[in-house]
Amino acid sequence: MKLLSVFPLVFFLLMAFTGSALPENLKKYTISGKVTDNNDGESLVGATVFIKELKTGTTTDQYGRFSLTLPEGRYTIGFTFIGYTPVNMEIVLDKDISLKMELATQEKELQEVEVKSEKSDQNVVKPEMSVFKMDIRTIQKIPALMGEVDVIKAIQMLPGVQSVSEGSTGYSVRGGAPDQNLILLDDATVYNASHLMGFFSVFNNDAVKDVKLYKGDIPANYGGRLASVLDVRMDEGDSKGFQVNGGIGIIASRLTVEGPIKKERCSFIVSGRRTYADLFLPLSSNKALQNNRLYFYDINAKINYVINDNNQIFLSGYFGRDVFSNQFAKMSWGNGTGTFRWNHVFSKKLFFNFTTLYSDYRYLLGTPEGASNSFEWNANLRDIAIKGDLSWYLNTNNTLRFGGAATYHMIDPGTANGIGSETVFTSIQVPKNYSLESGIYITNEQKIGPHFVAKYGLRLSLFQSIGPGTVYHYTPTYVVIDSSVYKSGIIYNTYGGIEPRIGLLYDFNQKSSVKASYARTYQYLQLAQNSSAGTPLDIWFPASPNIKPQINDQLAVGYFRNFRHNTIETSVEVYYKWMQNVIDFKNFAQLLLNDTLEGQVRTGRGYSYGIEFLVRLNEKIVSGWVSYTYSRSFRLIPDIQLNPYPAPYDKPNNISIVLNFQVAKRWNISANWVYATGAPVTFPTGRATIAGKVIPIYSQRNEYRYQDYNRLDLAVTFSSKQKPHRRFSWDLNFSVYNAYDRHNTWSVNFVQDNVDPNVTYAEKVYLFGIIPSVTFNFHFNHE
Amino acid sequence: MNKLLLSLLVLLLAAGCTERININLDNSYIRLVVDGGITTDSLQRSVTLSKSASYFYNQPPPMVSQAMVILTDGSFLDTLKEELPASPGKYTLDSNFRGVIGKTYNLIVKLPEAIGDFTEYASSCKIMKVPRLDSIHAEFNPNMGKNGFWLVKIYAMEPGDEMNFYMLKYYRNSVLISDSIQKWTTSDDKYFNGSYINGLTAFYINNNHPWETLHPGDTLMVQMSGITNEYYNFIQQVQQAGYQIPFFSGPPANVEGNISNRGVGFFTAYSNSFAKLVIPKHNP
Repeated sequence: MKLLSVFPLVFFLLMAFTGSALPENLKKYTISGKVTDNNDGESLVGATVFIKELKTGTTTDQYGRFSLTLPEGRYTIGFTFIGYTPVNMEIVLDKDISLKMELATQEKELQEVEVKSEKSDQNVVKPEMSVFKMDIRTIQKIPALMGEVDVIKAIQMLPGVQSVSEGSTGYSVRGGAPDQNLILLDDATVYNASHLMGFFSVFNNDAVKDVKLYKGDIPANYGGRLASVLDVRMDEGDSKGFQVNGGIGIIASRLTVEGPIKKERCSFIVSGRRTYADLFLPLSSNKALQNNRLYFYDINAKINYVINDNNQIFLSGYFGRDVFSNQFAKMSWGNGTGTFRWNHVFSKKLFFNFTTLYSDYRYLLGTPEGASNSFEWNANLRDIAIKGDLSWYLNTNNTLRFGGAATYHMIDPGTANGIGSETVFTSIQVPKNYSLESGIYITNEQKIGPHFVAKYGLRLSLFQSIGPGTVYHYTPTYVVIDSSVYKSGIIYNTYGGIEPRIGLLYDFNQKSSVKASYARTYQYLQLAQNSSAGTPLDIWFPASPNIKPQINDQLAVGYFRNFRHNTIETSVEVYYKWMQNVIDFKNFAQLLLNDTLEGQVRTGRGYSYGIEFLVRLNEKIVSGWVSYTYSRSFRLIPDIQLNPYPAPYDKPNNISIVLNFQVAKRWNISANWVYATGAPVTFPTGRATIAGKVIPIYSQRNEYRYQDYNRLDLAVTFSSKQKPHRRFSWDLNFSVYNAYDRHNTWSVNFVQDNVDPNVTYAEKVYLFGIIPSVTFNFHFNHE
Repeated sequence: MNKLLLSLLVLLLAAGCTERININLDNSYIRLVVDGGITTDSLQRSVTLSKSASYFYNQPPPMVSQAMVILTDGSFLDTLKEELPASPGKYTLDSNFRGVIGKTYNLIVKLPEAIGDFTEYASSCKIMKVPRLDSIHAEFNPNMGKNGFWLVKIYAMEPGDEMNFYMLKYYRNSVLISDSIQKWTTSDDKYFNGSYINGLTAFYINNNHPWETLHPGDTLMVQMSGITNEYYNFIQQVQQAGYQIPFFSGPPANVEGNISNRGVGFFTAYSNSFAKLVIPKHNP
């Protein structure tokens, strides 16, 4: 741990060495503050603050705050944010200045600009790559399955991101596994982002403000997953007036209420939704169906309180459940998360966030009491975490960020009990598992000369297994020899990781730039999921004496260029990833209710590479993006197969087109088209007959492919007339999923004919034909 | 036990559409396929030998004739004779043979010409014990399915000493209804190790299926067999083979048998216990 003390020193040395380009004798002062929307008081994330005379500036952080330290003088300071009227003001900087800037929306433009980028040239000048940010208005325009607009389905349309299975919420980023994505809702980890077996995600778009996906170049303040970070931020609520938003769709309805508790100081938002397909089941003539239950609901809530200029707190939470039951079985699962955050301004240059987090995922499976087979099975995963993050705007050229986090994980992989007096089942409990995951980081963003920015940082992560615990010992052929039992409170295993994160930017006069990044990430928790789409029953399991942490190194280089006053952003990125200790499972693995689960795991190496082309449009009439990706992903796990095999997410060619046309004031048309090479699959290359059944003899792992995937979705939105100060507005959205009725493969079964048992044939299973839907959305506000 | 629940979920949520498709598949090398075994009674004492074929071969499997098939328990040695000309490829033991619980039996196959580069294959299997079936019970549930289901329940004392694995089949009026591997029920004792199996449902029989349903007056017989862990896994793998449900199925993989030299299939040996019941008249 010597490194810990050495590291900050290196930082300061580096900064002192490059120093400031400005004369030393001039006195410096800091201008800092917050940029908000003058309409609802919500903070504006990524607004530009620009000093005309010095041709320098900054962007607001995720709480709308900024800080600039400049030499004494007279300046013109400009505040801009797309969709808002820019403000320029003269300031005399002869002392530290703190200000609150409220920007007004441009009513007209708001309707016409659908994709709201951060500062318009951020794509080029910000020293971050492999990142895609979308605000909720962009996502809401994307045609959706059954009209249910979905954050994760929008993410799956990005270059470098693949859906793992038709209709699934699972996604693979740059060839990584779906459990290698960190999904955060207001910083709390969401362990299972799916509703209804994955056809919908847990994110209710009415409660979401924006989402940001890091596919690489992952900032040092994030840790714990190899491939990506999806950072979802909840809306803060309108602090100036009340708003009611809602929607009625064919399978679900939503309602959101937000408003001030104390004007301009304290606001709240509460949002809920529920599906109601099953409400019609009692009308069914089929007796068996009448008692079925199948629905999900979720609730998001947030309270935001600005105590004073230096202190702000918020409390936010999510709770959702899926419920399924019929006369034979019942099942329910869901997440709950909670976030408390305190934002504190220590000084004009030093901002602090303190966060406590709670996350809970659980499921229950069972049969009704009173039968010989009655049982109930529960599993649960719980996190409690604290986090502290500091941003230090040291001088114009250096912004230092540092902090740490600690998370206590409790995993109950499953307890099954017979229930009732008639049951023949006894009790089975897979022992609970306790661990502590912690990390500290420090990173600096440094401007070196007018064109070069370097971002360099380090994260140190630590994972400790805490007793009580049982560790099984295995032979090299994965047979259990014996076990060690550890008492409560004992730390019986520790892993640590040093994770450098480096990003470089060179810009050519703010029109184009070259960026490069390197990031090492460690992952200590993984999902025991052996199927392509997964189920809510899949459990997470931690690193242990038998399971080493997974390690990923990613190197990426990109060229970025904007055209037509930044309304067209283009980029090309090339990446290569090396993965160590990646996991797969033995053939016919038993992952549920198995206390020797670790004996089912097989580990090895992985690598993936690709090139991503992206054109993003922010034009007034047309917005959206067009992307093409060529990528490959392989696993080399000798205990599965001696030669490398394509990862299940290896789909070399991928085209995504997401376009939105504001054809007239009240008419909006959107379309998306996705094409991907068929997923790799193992097919039979022979057959044998056993006890009357023809069984396949298989090829090597993933030697074949499904048919190529392609799909077109369309949506038309008709809105009510836009008038200033109008209280009520609405829109009607018609959408068609899979517009040309492509029967995309979900799976292929090899079937033995019923009539002639010697005949076998291949049968494709597809999930969706054309699915039309209609959604009515309304909005009401009260000043 | 969770299999039932999962299949229900799948039915409800993913009643996807299907269509037949044409796929071009390569051909793997030919393997020897061994299928059969011995029991502690006269129920089974034969083994069939066949060859693997290309996946869309669509004909009866090519049988392997004129092989020498030997069974040994270390001391005792016996030869299985090919049933010619009635059933080429089927090799049967002397009718007096009875397997003994606790013994391990080895099967040795010598071929007249090599299959998959080998002329000699071997396999072995131990006969596990089976608890005595105290009784069985058949219960009609009119609420399940369209025309109801018969639930066949079993009663037996499960020995708590070790992990045991069971296979269950049923007969209607002395005719084996569980006549293909898909219809066999298997269970380990994980959920009731050492306790009395007090009415575990072994079969769910759809009353809509005339070929398997029960009628008043029928004699129902259940056969419970003690099998090895390997054979239990093998049956489960064969039952699932060929089907992929993206929610639950792992990557497809070859069924793991117990034949040496990359042979396919299983030579099994197991013990049996039986219980009978005449379906009462007052049941529907």
